[in-house]
Amino acid sequence: MLAIKATHLTKTYAGEGAPVTVFRDLSFELEEGVFAAIMGPSGVGKSTLLHLLGGVDLPDTGRVEILGRDLEEMPARERARVRNGHIGFVFQFHHLLPEFTAEENVAMPHRIAGMPAREARQRARELLARVGLPDRGNHLSRALSGGEQQRVAIARALARGPSLLLADEPTGNLDAESAHRVFDLIEVLHHERRMTTVLVTHNPDLANRCDKIFAMSREGISPAIRLPV
Amino acid sequence: MSFESFVALRYLAASRRRAHVALISTISILGLAVGVAALVISLSLLSGFQDRIRAQMADRSPHLLISPERGDRLADADAVARDLQSLKDVVSIDPVIDGRAWLSDLNGRGTTPVRYRTLPRDFAAPGADDPRAVPARISFNAAGRTGSTVGSLLRVLSSHTRLSPIGPIPIETVVRVAEIRRASALERAADLEVPESAARLLSGLAEGARAYEARLNNPAAAETIAREVARLLGPAYRVQTWQDLNRPLSFALRLEKTVMFATVALVIVVAALNIVSTLALLVVEKKRDLGVLTAMGTGPSSLVRIYLILGSAIGALGTSAGILLGVVASFLMDRFHLVPLPADVYLMAHVPFAVHAREVLLVALFAFATAFAAAVLPARAAARIAPAEAVRLSR
Repeated sequence: MLAIKATHLTKTYAGEGAPVTVFRDLSFELEEGVFAAIMGPSGVGKSTLLHLLGGVDLPDTGRVEILGRDLEEMPARERARVRNGHIGFVFQFHHLLPEFTAEENVAMPHRIAGMPAREARQRARELLARVGLPDRGNHLSRALSGGEQQRVAIARALARGPSLLLADEPTGNLDAESAHRVFDLIEVLHHERRMTTVLVTHNPDLANRCDKIFAMSREGISPAIRLPV
Repeated sequence: MSFESFVALRYLAASRRRAHVALISTISILGLAVGVAALVISLSLLSGFQDRIRAQMADRSPHLLISPERGDRLADADAVARDLQSLKDVVSIDPVIDGRAWLSDLNGRGTTPVRYRTLPRDFAAPGADDPRAVPARISFNAAGRTGSTVGSLLRVLSSHTRLSPIGPIPIETVVRVAEIRRASALERAADLEVPESAARLLSGLAEGARAYEARLNNPAAAETIAREVARLLGPAYRVQTWQDLNRPLSFALRLEKTVMFATVALVIVVAALNIVSTLALLVVEKKRDLGVLTAMGTGPSSLVRIYLILGSAIGALGTSAGILLGVVASFLMDRFHLVPLPADVYLMAHVPFAVHAREVLLVALFAFATAFAAAVLPARAAARIAPAEAVRLSR
């Protein structure tokens, strides 16, 4: 079964000057359980594609189906529920909420879903332990290193047990060693949780470890070429 | 605690740590507190004065006035008196016998028109057994016009006449000034008050009365008792309370308070505009976080609720502080007479303050509702943020 089916997507942003069309008539499919990397130069719309796949934004034309459900046809509240329950986001700059501790950040998706605070924090503690940060729960994000912040962000993305993980250059802001450790973690958790994972990266070494690689350019997105390291 | 309250209260608490947000949110809370305190103190000041005015109204007006619906005298004054006396809330009743007359000294100098009426029953005049004249209480104005002092004898020439061998002649009597009274502006006092017998003589009303006045043990219950009296006496009689008799003044007092409320409440409205700018700043500051929360599954209605709760929290803090400040300041100013007045001008030595719970509640509700309303615009702006853009632009 297809985890993602995006067909004929067009997205244009109204900039300060003329509108900017990020991509036109782009289609993309991915089967369930696949670990895919999307590569491509900056500005071709990789992040925009992830936002459309995650229901954070809607295409101007085209359709996005996640696990057989059309995101655009859902009311905003239902789309929010799908994002909360089925999709996990990891951003390049971790985007942890600075007023909240690591544990509260990881518990946040549960709180959004209406889970009682005590239970949400308990689950967050377990997940933090799973990503190797059992003692950092009470720290604010600014007290954590870059690698630790990204691990917390991964734990937060996985809090609700999503079937789709979307990671936008999760290692792009880290040194090589931290980048590998974060990628290792994503890889392990992908297999452990049998998710579908789409990861945007500029690192061919990391991309080669994925099941599939997609190259994205101004012309569109083309499937699966194994890149030289 | 709901997710929205959790986030909103954390944002409010955390804003203390960022200097510019802390400053502007503190100004919002202080602004609201000052507005609320100003309104509480203003209303307490007005209530202090108005309570005294109302107490004087109740004290110096008859609590109930029973007069005929038609005609100039009660059809059955005895029945009215009996019915009034049968009520346990009625402390005393007095017949009203009044009319118009001319007042002058014994030589006819300083003749001046006056309205006369019966003295209260409890009036104890010194030297009341003087056989030459009955004791009377006259107003300060009448005393001035007739040039009389306490003990002076005055001639009263009634507008009523009696028949004599030479035809109708005005009824006259002589009174002795037992007291000169400076009536307050609130008083419905006659220029000349004489004993009942003299009033009956001057008015030609040998029996009965033009009306009856009653005093009650609880003037505040006058409306209820008036309804009972009206039911007892039937439609031939008009029953008025002391509030009815002072209705124009009561209306003026209410109007004064309403205008005061509306004017000082503008301070709260200005403070609410501060809240709008504080929350708008928080929306801009938190744009990226709102995008992240949306990506995690927060719906637009939850974002609206977060900012409404923030506005409510600022409103609750400002309102509570303002109420506390206003109530304590009013109490202290009243208790320790902190605002003195020239007693000979104002008939009181200090500005009175009276805190009425109902008014404080009204101020609190108004302030809180205004703060809540101020949060609506920023809350809707928060819900309209495009999450993808927020996350993309905030790297």
